[in-house]
Amino acid sequence: MTTLGIAVGTAIGIALLLWVVVLIRQDRLYAGYGVIFIVGTIAAIAVLVVPPWLRAATAASVALMPDPSLSLVAIVLLTFLVVYVFIQISVLANRVMRLTQELAIRTAQREPPAGRPSEER
Amino acid sequence: MDTSTASPHRTLVAIPAYNEAATIRNVVERVRLNLPHCDLVVVNDGSSDSTADVLAGSGAHVVAHLCNLGYGRAIQTAVLYADRAGYDRLVTLDADGQHDPAEVRTLLTQFDTGQWDLLIGSRYVVSRRYAGVPLGRRLGMVMFSSMVGLLTGQRVYDTTSGLKVIGRQTFAALTNWQFIDFHAEALVYLMRLGFRVGESPITVSERQHGTTMYSALSHIKYPLKTALMVVLGVVEANLTRRRIP
Repeated sequence: MTTLGIAVGTAIGIALLLWVVVLIRQDRLYAGYGVIFIVGTIAAIAVLVVPPWLRAATAASVALMPDPSLSLVAIVLLTFLVVYVFIQISVLANRVMRLTQELAIRTAQREPPAGRPSEER
Repeated sequence: MDTSTASPHRTLVAIPAYNEAATIRNVVERVRLNLPHCDLVVVNDGSSDSTADVLAGSGAHVVAHLCNLGYGRAIQTAVLYADRAGYDRLVTLDADGQHDPAEVRTLLTQFDTGQWDLLIGSRYVVSRRYAGVPLGRRLGMVMFSSMVGLLTGQRVYDTTSGLKVIGRQTFAALTNWQFIDFHAEALVYLMRLGFRVGESPITVSERQHGTTMYSALSHIKYPLKTALMVVLGVVEANLTRRRIP
């Protein structure tokens, strides 16, 4: 991989990291999903910047895939797509959560406490 | 002084419960016995066992989630409930029977001195050591206690305690931000917003029934998620303070 390739890859990784962190802070991405992306992206950046790891990863990808450079582009695009899907899941989950909380509180406010054992007898 | 009887403040005791059928009835009865002048609410967090049946007829007010939202969200529901019903203080207590409700009176007395906005019933504030705690958990506790100390300038020795007294002044902050389990991330967020958090010693008994809410995988995910939320909590608190000087 060329130096420019490493720089571009690292820049994409940092952009993904920042995007994920901002999404978590805005409550648009669940922290549990975000942590997976953050750990994965940091690992990918580490592979790019540590020469022996990059050589090993390149050898493995050449052995496994017919056109590794094109596959790399596909993997990057796929990662951003997966983050987008998880944003939608998180937003939906947040709405369900708020509905569940609201429904629980309103129902409880309408109903009197369940009778105590001594009152039932 | 028995604060639960003498205090003019309205106090709500909230017990988040998820699959605690074996212990919840006993916990409710002990709370009623020891804190007769506090209102009691159980947040049934989508239990799939007979917790709901056990609670029926227990005398407790039940706020029932239709599905499981997790411990942090159950606590947040209790905070929302207490806020809307106009309570001055919220006491959170574990449903597994590990906390002694009698100790809540001591906590409330200390809380009434006005020194704190949130007071934690702490297992480790006296010894300042985590003796007897399994190694993995001990490492986590030391890590998060140190993180809190580093980011706020005040060490909190028991960041994972489920027994807390929460003052009304913190309710808005606690419902406006997201938390994992209301542990270190919530404490750092509140402290960075300027709220006063303190610890008071308590004793806990061993869990008699059920299992911990943390699975094997969560021992890896929990520290990562919580550490991330602690750092983001600092950012969010700083942004909030800039927005509302």
